[in-house]
Amino acid sequence: MARLRIKLSFFNLLSKLIFTGLFLLIMPYLVERINLIQTDNNLIGMREQVISLVSKVGIEPFITSETENTFGSYNILKDEFISLEKFDSGEDANFIEVSERLIEGEKIIYRVLNYTFKVDNIKYLLEIGKSLESIHHTEKNTRKVMLVFLVFIILITFITDLLYTRRLLSPLDVITLKLKDISDPSIYDKTPVKTTTSDFVSLDNALKELMTHIDELFRKEKDITVNISHELLTPVSVLRSKLENLLIRDDLSPEIPTKIEETLKTLYRLQSLVNSLLLIARLESRQFLRNETFQVNEVLSEIISELSPISDDSNILLESEFDHDLRVSKANRSLLFSMFYNIVNNAVKNTQPGGKVLIKSFSDKDHFVVSVSDTGKGMSEAQMKTLFSRFKTKGQNSGTGIGLAIAKSIADFHCISITVKSVPDTGTIFSFAFPENS
Amino acid sequence: MNVLIVEDEKSLSDEIVVFLKSEGYLCEQAFTGADASEKIAINLYDFVLLDLGLPDCDGLDIINNDRAWGSEPAFIIITARGEVQDKVKGLDLGADDYIAKPFALTELAARMQAVGRRKFKIPGQDMNVGEFVIEFQSRKVTHNDNEVLLTRKEFDLLNYLVINRNKVLTRQQLYEHIWGNILEDQYDSNFIDVHIKNVRRKLNEFASTPWLETVRGIGYRVSF
Repeated sequence: MARLRIKLSFFNLLSKLIFTGLFLLIMPYLVERINLIQTDNNLIGMREQVISLVSKVGIEPFITSETENTFGSYNILKDEFISLEKFDSGEDANFIEVSERLIEGEKIIYRVLNYTFKVDNIKYLLEIGKSLESIHHTEKNTRKVMLVFLVFIILITFITDLLYTRRLLSPLDVITLKLKDISDPSIYDKTPVKTTTSDFVSLDNALKELMTHIDELFRKEKDITVNISHELLTPVSVLRSKLENLLIRDDLSPEIPTKIEETLKTLYRLQSLVNSLLLIARLESRQFLRNETFQVNEVLSEIISELSPISDDSNILLESEFDHDLRVSKANRSLLFSMFYNIVNNAVKNTQPGGKVLIKSFSDKDHFVVSVSDTGKGMSEAQMKTLFSRFKTKGQNSGTGIGLAIAKSIADFHCISITVKSVPDTGTIFSFAFPENS
Repeated sequence: MNVLIVEDEKSLSDEIVVFLKSEGYLCEQAFTGADASEKIAINLYDFVLLDLGLPDCDGLDIINNDRAWGSEPAFIIITARGEVQDKVKGLDLGADDYIAKPFALTELAARMQAVGRRKFKIPGQDMNVGEFVIEFQSRKVTHNDNEVLLTRKEFDLLNYLVINRNKVLTRQQLYEHIWGNILEDQYDSNFIDVHIKNVRRKLNEFASTPWLETVRGIGYRVSF
């Protein structure tokens, strides 16, 4: 994973390197072609000069008809030569070629222009040559300079790319930061991001609209939750009061109170169900405060002292091993208490007399972990799958099977991850890993 | 003691009245916010049981207005909202306690007693139960000046039964009183049985407790 601007800069660098590489590969050929054309043009220019000279002063200064048949001249470095000779046999020539010449015992490769012309009906051959070595030399130098120049250009543009993209993409950083910080859409910072890039403006606006929309939905859900709770709980409350008032009358025939208690039990179940669903709904719409700071082990100790009368009664060993403690902040104590209480209570309920329930707190890598293990019946794979779904895990003793769904919602609310390991007939371990920075 | 019950659900209000009358309170009812404000302004009440979800106004405004009138009844808020924010807001404004619907009438009685002790400094008279003395103020149970060592929960349980003496309390009522109702799903009759068993065992080391009765199929009762 890498930042966008780094990726962009590296892509630019890579494409530049590829194109430069290609250019460097083609360059020798290109330069050679250009030089050749240049040389040829030079040679043609020189030919024109010689021709105009000959037509001005005649052929005599170079070749006298009787004595000499050839005229030759070359400069000190032997990189250029001109020769003029009588050319009796052969056809007319006007071409440029590469050929080897022997000058003062030295073999030199030349680009040679051959040209025949007639003066007083005598055919002459003009040869003008330019050493190719000198051409190659300049070529090499040009290439070196070019290479250095290209490397320099690439470096400079890479650095400027990096700086520019950083500046260009800085609004994106601002937006990412804003998104990272929020836990609730209502606290999303709606001040516009400073940028001249229209894409960022539209992204910023789209996010703003989205947040407003989500916030509105959350608020509606909150209202619905409040209304349902009121609508459902009030009639339950009426029924309860009526039944409880009946129960304390002393003029009832003996079988009536038991019937009332049975009816009340059903009502309690309804009440418990409504309250549990409300609890989950409130957790999911983040209606609980997370503003408490406390030690996790202290909560665990309290749970142990609350449940030890029960475990003692069923002859179950309820033990703790606290190797590490965590001071959580931004948490809700009573919710975390409920979560652990649910799990430990479940463990105690599902363990046979003589069994053991162990609560451990320790640190694993960067996480603070609380584990609750029992020596109970364990669970099958199929049971594990539906463990945290509402109404799927019908408890054997009591309850609607919603307790674990509540525990899961509370864990999610606090960003705690729950893992469950279970072996049938051996036991179950619930592990709660707290987030790194809590 | 005078109690004003502000609750728009008439049948619930009526049941509360029936129960509180049997406890010896004088009750009046108000079904709207306006009605409640008027009654509070004219009469002197010791307790106002206030439902927050009134049709014509937010129940919390009634506490606000009342503070302006200068009378000092104890406010117990009744609500089905159950939201943390409401709870904090209510207690900030000077409500004395808070009870969530649906609640047990016996729980309401216990809360009113506790608020009364706190607010009106009604001395919590020690109570003789069988051969034992229950000291509400110091939360102690003694037998011939020897303290019976009960845990906090065990004392709460016994205390609740004694406050609601001569009434059968169901296990759920007892459970709710001691553990609140955040853990409804874990309602487990066994909890109460174990705790009652422990209370009996501890008390029986000093004297027998025929007054702590198990009512078959229903729950427990303290009779004397």
